[in-house]
Order: sequence, then C-alpha cells, then structure tokens
Amino acid sequence: MAGEDKGTEASGDGDQPLSAGESLALIERQHREAQRQLGVNVALFYGPWGAAYLLGFGSIFLTYPSASPARMPGGLAAAITGVLFATAFVVSVVNGTRAGRGVRGPSRVVGAMYGWSWTLGFCALAAVNIGVTRLGLSDEAATLLWSGSSLLLVGVLYLAGGALWQDRFQYGLGVWMLVTGAGSVLAGVPGNFAVLALAGGGGLLLTAGYFRLRPPRPHTGS
Amino acid sequence: MSAIGTVPGLDPVIHSQARLRVTVALAALSHGDRITFPRLQQLLEMSAGNLSTHLRKLEDAGYVELTKTHQRRTPATYVSLTRTGRRALEDYTAALRQLLEPPTDQPGG
Repeated sequence: MAGEDKGTEASGDGDQPLSAGESLALIERQHREAQRQLGVNVALFYGPWGAAYLLGFGSIFLTYPSASPARMPGGLAAAITGVLFATAFVVSVVNGTRAGRGVRGPSRVVGAMYGWSWTLGFCALAAVNIGVTRLGLSDEAATLLWSGSSLLLVGVLYLAGGALWQDRFQYGLGVWMLVTGAGSVLAGVPGNFAVLALAGGGGLLLTAGYFRLRPPRPHTGS
Repeated sequence: MSAIGTVPGLDPVIHSQARLRVTVALAALSHGDRITFPRLQQLLEMSAGNLSTHLRKLEDAGYVELTKTHQRRTPATYVSLTRTGRRALEDYTAALRQLLEPPTDQPGG
C-alpha cells in the first residue's frame, strides 16, 4: 500500500468506487501480495541443499590424498557436511510449513504427504544400506552404494514433485539427479564425491536460481 | 458513454475495493483450500470488524463460505471462495478488460 492512494480519498473501509484501470491494478497488486504470502519460497527448497552438496561432498572429496595435495582433515569435512545437511533439512521443513499457516485443504495434504515421502524414503534407504553393508562390503562399495542409492531416491522424488505440481523444471532436475547418481557410481571413489558436489550441487543451485528469478504468475484470466 | 459506476455487468458485490481485495486474496488459495479468519485478516491488513462485515456481504451473495470448527477446544472460522465467487471474480475481471479495450468502430462515434 505504498503511496498509491494519493489523489483519491482513501477511505478506511476502501469503498471508494474505482475506475476500470484502477480496479485491474488493484486486482493485480492484491493477487501478487496474496501469492507472496501464501505461496512457499520455492528457491529456498533448493539453495540450502545445493550449498550442502557442493561444500559438504566437496570437502569429503578433498580428504582423499589422491584428490588434493593439502588433505582436508576427515573430522572437519564430516562436521561441515553434517551441519550443512542438517541446516538444509530444517530450512526445508520450516519453509514448507510456514506458508501454510492457517490454511487447510487439499494443497496442504499434498504438501505434507510429499514432505513425509522424503523422510520415510530416506529412513527406509538407510535401513536397507546399513543392512547390506553389514554383510561385509568394502569401504569403496559401501560408499558407492550410498552415493548411487541416495541420488536415485532424490531423483525419483523430484520427478514425483514435478509431476504433482506440473513443473517441468523440477522434473528435469529429477532426471539430472538420476544421471548424477549413476555417474557418481561409475566415477568410483573418490571421484563420486566430485560428481555429487559439482553435478548434484550445481544442478540444485541452478534450480534455486531459476525459481528465484522466474517472474510471478499473473492473475488468472489473462 | 456511461460512467463506470453505472455500467451494467460490473458486479456490485465486488465492485468495492475492500470486497474486491478479499475476493482476490481468497482466489489465490488452491481449489478447495480454506484459510482461518485471523490469517486472512493479517494478509489483508484489515480490522476484524471490517473484514467480518465484508465477509457477511460476500457470504450473502454466495461468493464465500464460512465454516466454524473447533481446534483443541478453540473455535476457529475458516473462509473459502465458492465456485460462484471464483466465477464472479473472473467475470468481473473480464468485464473490466473489455471496458479498457479500445472501442471498435462506433457508428457516429
């Protein structure tokens, strides 16, 4: 409501008749404001994960002597990775629930089911991978198992999200994450961490940038 | 031609700044979603009394639906736009666009 009422008598209850042009402008402005407040900040679902992939997996890659002459201490890399992934998780949950405050209905149910799909999927994935690793896998095989299976799940969930919200860009990210997962296994250790950091993190950051810059959707009927 | 206030086809129910804003805000919700009264009030920056007056008028016209429920013993009112209300807003927007279109060959114009 910044200074756009000058010239007209801005009555408190706003019952001043407007011209056709003014009414259309009011519709557009109110629509954008409502969308901004009710819609989730989509870029915020990708940016923190992109940073976690790039810096977390990147720092793990640098702990391997074959990867960098100045080896990064393993404890430091683990701390960076843990903190970044935990932050990304918290940001996603808060972002997903905050916009829906005071709103009830089908879209909230869809959002909650989709959000839980990530948590449930990764709990099951952890159970399977820990179980298989216990049977006696080499460190290298276990690393590649986690690398490939995690990205497979991530990719499929982005495919599902793209289908749910009819978003081709998100669907495309899903395809890209599937390719990244397969590529990371083919790259072997420690190359898989470089693939996850650059291709995975890069894809997520690019998606965040896309949603940050995408123009808002205009009011219906245009 | 005639002034906008008297143009037939412009819905008088939403041809008021406040009710137009309420309707547009509700139309931003996904189909079938409802919003609590306080959240809608916060979104529109209207006083509670003002908002309920306008909601009552919109409800009388069949444009919005008010549902009273209880959440852990606290009463809560949910507001949603009806199908009629959504169509009314679409018609209103279309009518405004038509008014703004350059006139086509008016005889004796």
